[in-house]
Amino acid sequence: MIAQRLPSLIEDLRRAVGSDGVLANRADLLVYECDGFVIEKSSPDVVVFPRSTADVAAVVRLANEYDVPCLPRGAGTSLAGGCLPVGGGIVVALTRMKRILEIDLRNRYALVEPGVVNVWLTQALKGTGFHYAPDPSSQGACTIGGNLATNSGGPHTLKYGVTVNHVLGLEAVLADGSIVEIGGPAEDAPGLDLTGVLVGSEGTLAIATKIWVRLTRDPQGYRTMLGVFESVDDATTSISEIIAAGIVPAALEMMDQGILVALEEAFQFGFPLDAQAILLIEVDGLEAGLDEQRDRIAEICQRCHAREVRQAVDAAERQKLWKCRKQAFGAVGRLSPSYCTQDGVVPRTKLPHMLRRIYEIGGKHGVRIVNVFHAGDGNLHPIVLFDERNPDEIRRVLAASGEILDECIACGGSVTGEHGIGVEKLEFMRKLFTPDDLAVMERLRHAFNPVGRLSPHKMLPTAGACGIEQRAPGRRAAL
Amino acid sequence: MPTDVAHTLPLDDTLTPVAEDELARVVRECARDRRAVYPLGGQTSLDVGLPARRRGLGLSLAGMNNIVDYPARDMTITVEAGLRVADLADKLAAENQWLPIDIPEASQATIGGAIASNASGPRRYAHGTIRDYVIGIRAVDGRGTAFQAGGRVVKNVAGYDFCKLLCGSFGTLAVITQVTLKIKPRPPASAWAWCELPSLEAADKLLATLTTSATTPTAIELLTGPPPDEEGPLASVAPARLLIGYEGTAAEVAWQLEQIQMAGRAEGVNYQSTGETATVQRVWSRLTEFSVPDAEGVAQTSALAIIKASVLSSMITNLIRSIQELAPTAAILAHAGSGIVTVRLSETPLGGLAAAIVRHWQPAARAARGNLVLLAARDTGELTRQVVWGMPQDDARLQLAVKQQFDPHGILNPGRFVYGSA
Amino acid sequence: MSTSSIKPDAVEAAVAVAGDTPSKSLDVPPATTRAAHASVMGASAREGGDPAPSRTIAHEGSADRAARAPAANPGAGIDYELFLDCVHCGLCTASCPTYLELGDENDSPRGRIYLMRSVTDGRLAPTAEVRRHLELCLDCRACETACPSGVQYGKLIEPFRIALESQGEARGRTDDWFHRLILFGLFTNPRRLRRALAPARVAQRLGLIRLAESLGLLRVLPGRLRQLVTMLPPPTRQQRALPAFLAAKGRRRARVALFTGCVADVMFRGTHWATARVLQENGCDVMVQHDQVCCGAIHFHAGSSAPARELADHNVRAFDASSVDAVIVNVAGCGSMLKDYGHHWHDEAAPGREALAGKVRDISEFLDELGLVAPEGPMPMVATYHDACHLGHAQRVREAPRRLLAKVPELKLVDLPETEICCGAAGTYNLTEPEMAARLSHRKLDNILRTGARAVLTGNAGCLLQIAREARQRGEPLWIAHPIDLLDLSYRRSKPPC
Repeated sequence: MIAQRLPSLIEDLRRAVGSDGVLANRADLLVYECDGFVIEKSSPDVVVFPRSTADVAAVVRLANEYDVPCLPRGAGTSLAGGCLPVGGGIVVALTRMKRILEIDLRNRYALVEPGVVNVWLTQALKGTGFHYAPDPSSQGACTIGGNLATNSGGPHTLKYGVTVNHVLGLEAVLADGSIVEIGGPAEDAPGLDLTGVLVGSEGTLAIATKIWVRLTRDPQGYRTMLGVFESVDDATTSISEIIAAGIVPAALEMMDQGILVALEEAFQFGFPLDAQAILLIEVDGLEAGLDEQRDRIAEICQRCHAREVRQAVDAAERQKLWKCRKQAFGAVGRLSPSYCTQDGVVPRTKLPHMLRRIYEIGGKHGVRIVNVFHAGDGNLHPIVLFDERNPDEIRRVLAASGEILDECIACGGSVTGEHGIGVEKLEFMRKLFTPDDLAVMERLRHAFNPVGRLSPHKMLPTAGACGIEQRAPGRRAAL
Repeated sequence: MPTDVAHTLPLDDTLTPVAEDELARVVRECARDRRAVYPLGGQTSLDVGLPARRRGLGLSLAGMNNIVDYPARDMTITVEAGLRVADLADKLAAENQWLPIDIPEASQATIGGAIASNASGPRRYAHGTIRDYVIGIRAVDGRGTAFQAGGRVVKNVAGYDFCKLLCGSFGTLAVITQVTLKIKPRPPASAWAWCELPSLEAADKLLATLTTSATTPTAIELLTGPPPDEEGPLASVAPARLLIGYEGTAAEVAWQLEQIQMAGRAEGVNYQSTGETATVQRVWSRLTEFSVPDAEGVAQTSALAIIKASVLSSMITNLIRSIQELAPTAAILAHAGSGIVTVRLSETPLGGLAAAIVRHWQPAARAARGNLVLLAARDTGELTRQVVWGMPQDDARLQLAVKQQFDPHGILNPGRFVYGSA
Repeated sequence: MSTSSIKPDAVEAAVAVAGDTPSKSLDVPPATTRAAHASVMGASAREGGDPAPSRTIAHEGSADRAARAPAANPGAGIDYELFLDCVHCGLCTASCPTYLELGDENDSPRGRIYLMRSVTDGRLAPTAEVRRHLELCLDCRACETACPSGVQYGKLIEPFRIALESQGEARGRTDDWFHRLILFGLFTNPRRLRRALAPARVAQRLGLIRLAESLGLLRVLPGRLRQLVTMLPPPTRQQRALPAFLAAKGRRRARVALFTGCVADVMFRGTHWATARVLQENGCDVMVQHDQVCCGAIHFHAGSSAPARELADHNVRAFDASSVDAVIVNVAGCGSMLKDYGHHWHDEAAPGREALAGKVRDISEFLDELGLVAPEGPMPMVATYHDACHLGHAQRVREAPRRLLAKVPELKLVDLPETEICCGAAGTYNLTEPEMAARLSHRKLDNILRTGARAVLTGNAGCLLQIAREARQRGEPLWIAHPIDLLDLSYRRSKPPC
């Protein structure tokens, strides 16, 4: 493919989706050069806004005809560069496919288009007694299509599971531009569970155009508690003890002092700023069981030297607490111009050790690290603060981040619990998996996406193995 | 159904490796020789699928039944695939934990086999299916390559999720060798509420109200036809029987029983209930074993054929009616909240089994937005791909493409699964 | 005080006669593609030894930037730290009305900040496309509410747009006839506006506008003028002007000044009267300074800073801030501007503006703080409340009006879905960007109808006009009013309006 064919591709795309559905000048494309991960940038050649499955199929067929990469994008909130158009090509922005097509309460499912913002579905269900359980912290902006691509989690996935546990099936456009239905509103379709492997495939297998999701009953009641701790160690020990006691909280989140300061500035909740860590603990379910669970949790926290265990007094206070938690990442903007976050996971019994190591590693590299994370899942989000104008600092940030993830692997964990590999953590795939493991994954990708046209250079560290990755400009490490 | 393997599979030999590398070597050799490989777990699901035609090697996982790691406080366990389900359950019970998946014939079945066949039972309404519990997997593909996916932590999105892909793949993509499971604390109390209903219409009406019940049932079961027990809650012969299972703390269970009985009175439905341990456990067990062809109790006979339909839960009574039209004596159990209907046929349906399935019941399932498959049949002579697995799914071409990547020589459990001749 | 010396009759002519300036369309103009930029496309660039031009690694050092930025960079006057507050998380996107409608990140807050920063960094020229995306911003500040990092979006986009305007190149939106004649000349001068509206009013009274609307005749008018004509509220009895002083009823609790504004004084004098009466009921002496002028928001948001400052300074003199407890505003857009007087300009007159800004209170905010004397007239009706952007997002006044309305006997207030999303009025946005404004008001009315309420209450003149026009055009008989209108009816024990 040569640059001279670009105008012709753009013309064809305009014909396919309408001229108001194509961006092709440099100013308009710039914004699409990155997502929530800003360390690397790469501009697409063209952005298209399909409105229907047929539009998406037409776009993918044109990508084939012109032999260019093709990358779906939702709200662009990925923290791992999942929307980075490495090698340029076509970005398929699904933000105009945003209808909730069907809500069926009796059968507990909804059918949505990929551009539906996560929280819209729960808002649409308000008053029905149902909700959509996966609630990533970015749920006010991120799309369900993006959630599907990254198998998003969220605070309440400790009890309710992640996206894959709530996706029943999908309609998708395949790499050749054909349209296929996989799974559906009924369970147990005969044959392979392709839905299971498509969720979390980061756009490398197909582009979802409709998604059947499971709806969950609203719990009858909540108890939302705040445990205040004088030391991080006491807090992490409490987490491990709560899980070991056989309690399954709906959510169990930890925030350390660094993040509390930013949150307090943003929301004035009244967090005790001298505390070293707080736990946000929620149990939900039948009223008949809640007080007992609350008391057991409070008892465990106190045994682990909590200074105080408070309970949210009403729905408004609960909501505010969750708003604080969910907007924690953004509030980091108040602490430093840039940040990067890691998404490591360790077995929950390893949390005390891991937190100690994170602070040590930060000290060693001279970078500030604050923590807010899904403690109940063992899913860490150490946030490393930096100023992107300082190249030396960036180098130290990357070194510290790498060391933290290596430690997660050493603890028997993973380098990503919910953000995805994207481009950010490609190199860690070789540390987590053997060449044989990766070869099998590569072969699966080949079954769906034989030349690597869909989302090239994502998830698998095998750049150059597929045709399109060889031809399109390769990705280089940030520094 | 522990059958004599030789009757079900054309094996000329069976090997029992004790380690993954040994197993991988065997598969590599078979791949080289294009020799069929039939993975064997507890041999409880050998009836499922098309009859095997190619002679080949039985590959038993019986030698790989170790518990690799059980960090109970992390609520995960890593075991080899040949571990018996009952042994796993015992180990977990000692820590007051469990895997809340109902797996028939647990003393015989292996965890690898349960995953490969996607075994499930009444609790799937509240707890999901086994795919929701497999967080790490090791397996050997049809080239003899040992690989892993996932890991040992409960949340992990690194790499493709082969844990899900291999669930229900019936050993056709890879031989599962080891799995890491997410586990749950075992609820202290369990009880059943049940009622007898005059018709399927009445059942449908009641089921609709349960969608928004204040209670959170673990299982919602609908029974018609011959009862699966001689005594207790399952012994009724009423036209339709609804059973609702509750689990949780004693206080939660007691509140829910009270609540459902109150709701029942408002609708003119009389719920009985029991929390008596032996009775409660007997009900769970009979419902779980319902899909086993020679299961105890159901009409005091072993079944001629077992059929499983998966449809929208709002459509199950429609489907049951269309089954009853051709097979009035069928024993039917529906995991009603999940839309899963299991049918035990003890007589040949009107017009013959294959015709009833293909001409009537599969279209009825399709009209209910789902599918219908044949799990077991005593006479396997007339079975075709469509009789057993239904019309190919919309994604059949993709399924085949995936199969070919994992097993390019088509040696794993050949000819039995949805791919048709592959 | 006006920036234009145009004569009233000329303005009338402009209103009456269809100009030939085409209305702007939302469609992005066909792009000119630059071959050099084609990256994927890749191979040739790489062969030429050029390392993949589309890939940049993102470290725009400030020194670097200074070296490259052209002298007249519109971002030059902006504190660069304000850009750095944005960590690019994207949580703002779904709060932005234009992004909700278009799905294009260039029309989202994160995108606009990225564009402005790129221009500031010298990576991007302020092209027509860039201007277009910045113009389409409603300045509703919903993104500031959504932003967890505390990005002060208004402090970025407002000065940036002003700088774009003051640059000679590619003259933008304030230089056309519409801005000169209508917005700046007419709107900000109540006397002139009233006269200008006279012929339209006559037509309205005779039912001619209704007729023209139904016959589709208005479609021959250019989009923005058509908007203006259809925006007129139905004629009501001409209200007399407010007196300079209205005394408190009962014990005096406060002494306040009432800001009456420009457009509002013509179109909403009834609400001004209601406001004054409610203040009197609550024990306030009310002063109405007759030499006050337009707050300057129209100019400021359109990028004309200097005329806005002149108006501000005029108001500082008109209202002696030290002589009153509060300056009461019942139009959120004006209130928001008046409260920002202290931040907008940094010169020797700043302290005076700050003093005035410090006394400014929205009427609902003021009454809520003062403690409302409960009204007694029952209003048995179902109403919903729309959060005006300049009240909710810009002034963060959300609960006060709801608390006041809760005290009206028998009134049932129901939640409005997407209450925080702009209705499309946004100051003069509905006149300058009619197409997007129409999409948003359509969306707003859909949400209102979903609630089943027959009354809509909102604390901003623009929203009232916008929603009323939409309801009128779609034949929905809703009662659309300021919350204070309803309080006033309750104090006066009037019949419920619907």
